[in-house]
Amino acid sequence: MVAIIQKRSLRDFDWPIAALAIVIVCFGAWEIRNAVPTETYWQKQLVGLGIALLAMLAIAFTDYRRLVELAPILYVLGLVLLIIVLFPGIGMKINGQRCWIRLPGPLGQFQPSEFVKIPVVLMLARYFGKQRSRLLTWKEFAVGCVILGLPIGLILLEPDLGQALTYLPLLAVVLFLSSVRMWLVAALLITFIVGAPLAYTVGVKTGVLHGYKLERINVILDPENADRRGFGYHTWQSMVTVGEGGLMGSTSSEYSQSSLKFLPEPHTDFIFAVVAETTGFIGCLLLLASYALLLTRLITGARRSRDRTGMLVIMAIVGGLIFQIFINVGMAVGLLPVIGVPLPLMSAGLSSVLATFIAIGFAISVQLRRFVN
Amino acid sequence: MKFVDDSQNLRIRLRLIQGLVLVLLAVLTVRLYVLQIINGRHYAEIAENQRIHKLPIPAPRGDIFDRNGRVLVNSRPIYSILLSREDTKGIDRNSLVKPLSQGLSLDAGILRERFDRVKSQPAFESILIKEDASQAEIAWVDAHQLEFPALRVEQTPQRRYPPNGMLAHALGYVGEISPEQLKQPEYRDKGYKPGDIIGQEGIEAVYDEYLRGRDGYRKVIVDSRGHIQSEVEKVEPQSGQDIVTTIEIDLQQAAEEQLRKSPQGRGVIIAMNPNNGEILAIASAPTFDPNLFSQRITTKEGRAEYQALLNDPDKPLIDRAIQGKYPPGSTWKPLMATAGLQQGAITIQSSNLVCGGGITIGNKFTRCMGGNHGSPDLHFAIMKSCDGYFYRLGLKMKLEGIQAMVEEFDLNKRTGIDLPHEVISTTPSRELKARSYPSEPEWKDIDTVYSSFGQGTDVLTPIALLRAHSAIGMKGKMYIPHLLKEVRAIAAMGNDPSRPEYRAERPARSFDRPEPKILPIPIEQSDVVVKAMWSVVNEAGTATGIKMAGFDIAGKTGTAQVVSLGKEGSEHKDHSWFVSYAPAFKPEISVVAMIENAGLGSRFGAPSVRAIYDVYYQKTRPQQESPKNNIALRIR
Repeated sequence: MVAIIQKRSLRDFDWPIAALAIVIVCFGAWEIRNAVPTETYWQKQLVGLGIALLAMLAIAFTDYRRLVELAPILYVLGLVLLIIVLFPGIGMKINGQRCWIRLPGPLGQFQPSEFVKIPVVLMLARYFGKQRSRLLTWKEFAVGCVILGLPIGLILLEPDLGQALTYLPLLAVVLFLSSVRMWLVAALLITFIVGAPLAYTVGVKTGVLHGYKLERINVILDPENADRRGFGYHTWQSMVTVGEGGLMGSTSSEYSQSSLKFLPEPHTDFIFAVVAETTGFIGCLLLLASYALLLTRLITGARRSRDRTGMLVIMAIVGGLIFQIFINVGMAVGLLPVIGVPLPLMSAGLSSVLATFIAIGFAISVQLRRFVN
Repeated sequence: MKFVDDSQNLRIRLRLIQGLVLVLLAVLTVRLYVLQIINGRHYAEIAENQRIHKLPIPAPRGDIFDRNGRVLVNSRPIYSILLSREDTKGIDRNSLVKPLSQGLSLDAGILRERFDRVKSQPAFESILIKEDASQAEIAWVDAHQLEFPALRVEQTPQRRYPPNGMLAHALGYVGEISPEQLKQPEYRDKGYKPGDIIGQEGIEAVYDEYLRGRDGYRKVIVDSRGHIQSEVEKVEPQSGQDIVTTIEIDLQQAAEEQLRKSPQGRGVIIAMNPNNGEILAIASAPTFDPNLFSQRITTKEGRAEYQALLNDPDKPLIDRAIQGKYPPGSTWKPLMATAGLQQGAITIQSSNLVCGGGITIGNKFTRCMGGNHGSPDLHFAIMKSCDGYFYRLGLKMKLEGIQAMVEEFDLNKRTGIDLPHEVISTTPSRELKARSYPSEPEWKDIDTVYSSFGQGTDVLTPIALLRAHSAIGMKGKMYIPHLLKEVRAIAAMGNDPSRPEYRAERPARSFDRPEPKILPIPIEQSDVVVKAMWSVVNEAGTATGIKMAGFDIAGKTGTAQVVSLGKEGSEHKDHSWFVSYAPAFKPEISVVAMIENAGLGSRFGAPSVRAIYDVYYQKTRPQQESPKNNIALRIR
C-alpha cells in the first residue's frame, strides 16, 4: 500500500513546478554571484536551496489537511516569534529594523515575518475553507482582518513596512474567492484608480506629502528631473542599470553597475536590475515568463483541488507571490517607489527561499491529494 | 473543479486572478521594453559616464626668458588639495566648510565661495580646496582619510615671477579662470573648465595659447565612491612652449632702479630697438608682485593685499607705459617740426619764426617759458625748446596740419604692442574740444597754440611717443613695438595622428607684424630734426648734462604742466620727460623716461635715460672704457 502511494505520489508529484523553482533559484544564485562576486552569498543561496528542497519535499508528502488542522497552533507560534524578535538581544537590528533572529553557529539568522505568512495562509484557508453557499458576511470579513491584522501589527513594530504589505494580498485573494460582492471589488478598484492621483495632488498641495516621501514618488513620475543623488538615488540607479542591459545584456560585465556599487543592494532588493544588466530584455522576459508559468501551473493546481481549503491555500500563495514579484520588479524598473521586498526565489536570503519553497510544498501537497478521498 | 461550490462564479474569479497575474507581468514587460529597447542606449551612456572619469594631468606651462635666455618666469611643482565630486554627492557641502577651513587653515568665506562657484557647473571633476599645501596639511589630509574620503592631494605646477615686481606689468600673471570668463565664447570654445589656470594679464595673457601646454588625462573606471578601479587610457601632457622675450634684464633692472629713486616713485621708462621695435626694457612704477595672483590670491591675506593694490591712489596695477596718458610737453616739438617741414609751413632754407617771448591771442598773452629767443631757426628752437617758435609754427600748420602729423605718427591709434589693454592717446580735434568744453565748443587759435607745444588736448602714452620719435631717428621707418622675440618649438608626441595620445608639433614663431610703417619724410628734413635733437644733448641744448663721450645721444626734454605750478615733489608738480635715441645718426636704441610729478625734464627725465644708456654702452661696447661724464643739474 505504501509502495503504491509512493509510486502514485511520484507520478502525480508536480515535477515541473519543482524543477522550475529550482532553475529560478539557480539562475538567481548565478546573478547574485554577478552582483557581488567577492562575497559568498551565492554559495549560501545554493545551500539554502538544498535545505529548502528538503523542506518542500517534507511538506509535499505530508497531508496538507493535517497541517491545516494544526494551523491555530502554528499561527500562535508564529505570533510568538514575531513578538520575541522585537526584544533587543534576541532580535537583531539591521538598518534600523529589528526583524532578524540570530541562529546559533553557521545557520546565520532568520526572518520570522517571511515564515509567519504560512500559518496565516493556513489560518485563513481553515476559516474560509468551509463549504460556502452564500455571500461573505461582515463577521467573516472581520475575522479575516483579525487573523491578518495581528501579525501585520507586530511586523509594523519592527518596523518593516515592505513585509507587512506582502501580507495584504493573502487576505485579499481569500476574500475575493469567498464570494465577496463583485460590486464591492469593482468599487474598491475604481476608488483606488481615481483616488491615487487625487491623493497625490491633494498631498502635495496641502504639504502633507513632503520631504523624502515626496522625492521618492517624484523620481518615479519624472526621473530625469528628480533628486537623483538624494532620495531618488536608488530608483534612478536601478533604472539606469536596467536600461543599460539593452536587448542582450551589457557587454562591459567587468565593471557593472553593481560591482562598482552604483546599484545599491544588488543581491537582495535590486537583484532584478542585475538580471536586466547581465542578460538584457531577453533574460528579463525569460524570467518573467518563468514566473508566469509557475503561477499558472499553481493556479491550475488550485482549480483541480478537491476542497476549498486546498484551493485557498494555493491561491493565497499565488497572490502573495505575484504581489511580491510585481512590487519588487516594479521598484527595479522605476514604476513603484522603493519598498524593501525580496524577489521570490531570486533575492539572496535563506528565509525567503525557504518560505517560498514551503509554500510550493503546500501547493504540491494539495495537488498530490486531489484524487484521494 | 473537484469540489462542489455553491457560491457564485468561483471559476470566473479564479480566471480573473489568473488574468490579473498575466496583466501585471505584461505591464512589467512593457516597462522593460521602454527602458531597455527604446531608451537602452541613453541609459548605457549614463552608466558609462558615471563610471568613466577623465582625470586631467596638468601640462607644465612654458617658461619665459629674456633675450639672452635668462629665466624671467617659470613654474615649480606644488601640492594641491582637491575635493572630488562623487564622494560629496548627497552631502551638504556647507557642512564641510567648518572642519576643512580649520584643518587646512583656510578662510571659510573663500571655501564657501568655491563651493558656490561649482554649483553652476554641471560637470566638474573636483573642487580645488587649497594650493601649495604644507607638509603638515598633507599629513592632515592623510590622517582624515576616513572622515573625508573625498579629499586628495595632487601635484600641480605653480608660477613664479621675479622678485620686487620686476617687469610685472609686461609679464602679467596667471590665475584661475573666472566664472565670467567661462561664459564668454572665446574661452568656452577652447574647452576651458573651472579651475583652469590661464594667463590673465600681460605676456601671460597675450601668448597664453603658446605658453599653455596640452593637458594629458587618465581615463579611469571609478566606483560609486569615486575610488579608481583601473585605468583605461592614459595620455601624457605636452608641455607649453617657452617664450623668449626681447627684454634685456640688465636694462630692465636699471630702468626700475631709476624709477624707484625718482621723487614720487612713479613713472615710466621704455627702451626699444628702433630698428625692429623690440622692447629692451619696459618699466612702470609703482609696480606689484605678480606672485600674489599665482600664489596667494586664494588666502585671506592675499585678498587683502589685492584689495590694497586696488585702493592704492598710486594705482600700481596700471601699466603706465601703455595705459598712462600724459601731456608730452616739449617732447611734442620734434614731431611738429618734422611735420612742419613736410607740409611746407617752414623749409630747411627758411625756417626762422618769431619767438617774441610769447604770443598774444585775443587779449591773452601766452609766454615762452625760455624767455625771448628773438626770431630763431628750427635748429635753435628745438635745441633751446623755444615755445614761441612752435606757437607760430602751430598757427601756420593750423589744426589740420597738426592732425596730419598725428595721423602720420599713428598717435591716434594704438601702437599695436603685444600687451593687453593698451589705450589710445588723446590728440587735438574739434570734436574733442566740443565734447570737453560744452560751454565753449568752438576750436580757437589759442587751442592751436596749446596743441602745438604738447599741452591742451595732447595727451599721449609713453609708448606712442617713443615710437614716433624712434621713427624720426630711423628716417621714417616706424616699427610696431613688441616683446616677443621667439616662441620656441615643441616636438610632436607620438607618430600616428589618429591616436588619441598623439600631439601635433607646435612650431616656433616670432612677432607677427615685423614690417615697419614707412613715413614719407625726406631724408634732408629728418636730418635737420635729428641734428637739432643731437644738439639738445651735445651742443648747447636743454640736456647737455647727460652728454656721453663716444655715444651720441639725440633727445628732447619735456616738462609737462599738470595743473599749475606747485612745490617740487608735490601732487601737481610737472611731469618730467626725456625721449631719445642713440647713436644719433645710426640709432641702435631709443629710450623714453617719464617721471611723474617730479619737475623739469632735464633734471629728472634725462638723467634717468642716461643711466639706461650707461648700462647699454657697457653691454655693447665692453672693450671700451665707459664715458664718465658728470650729470649736470638744472639745465634747460
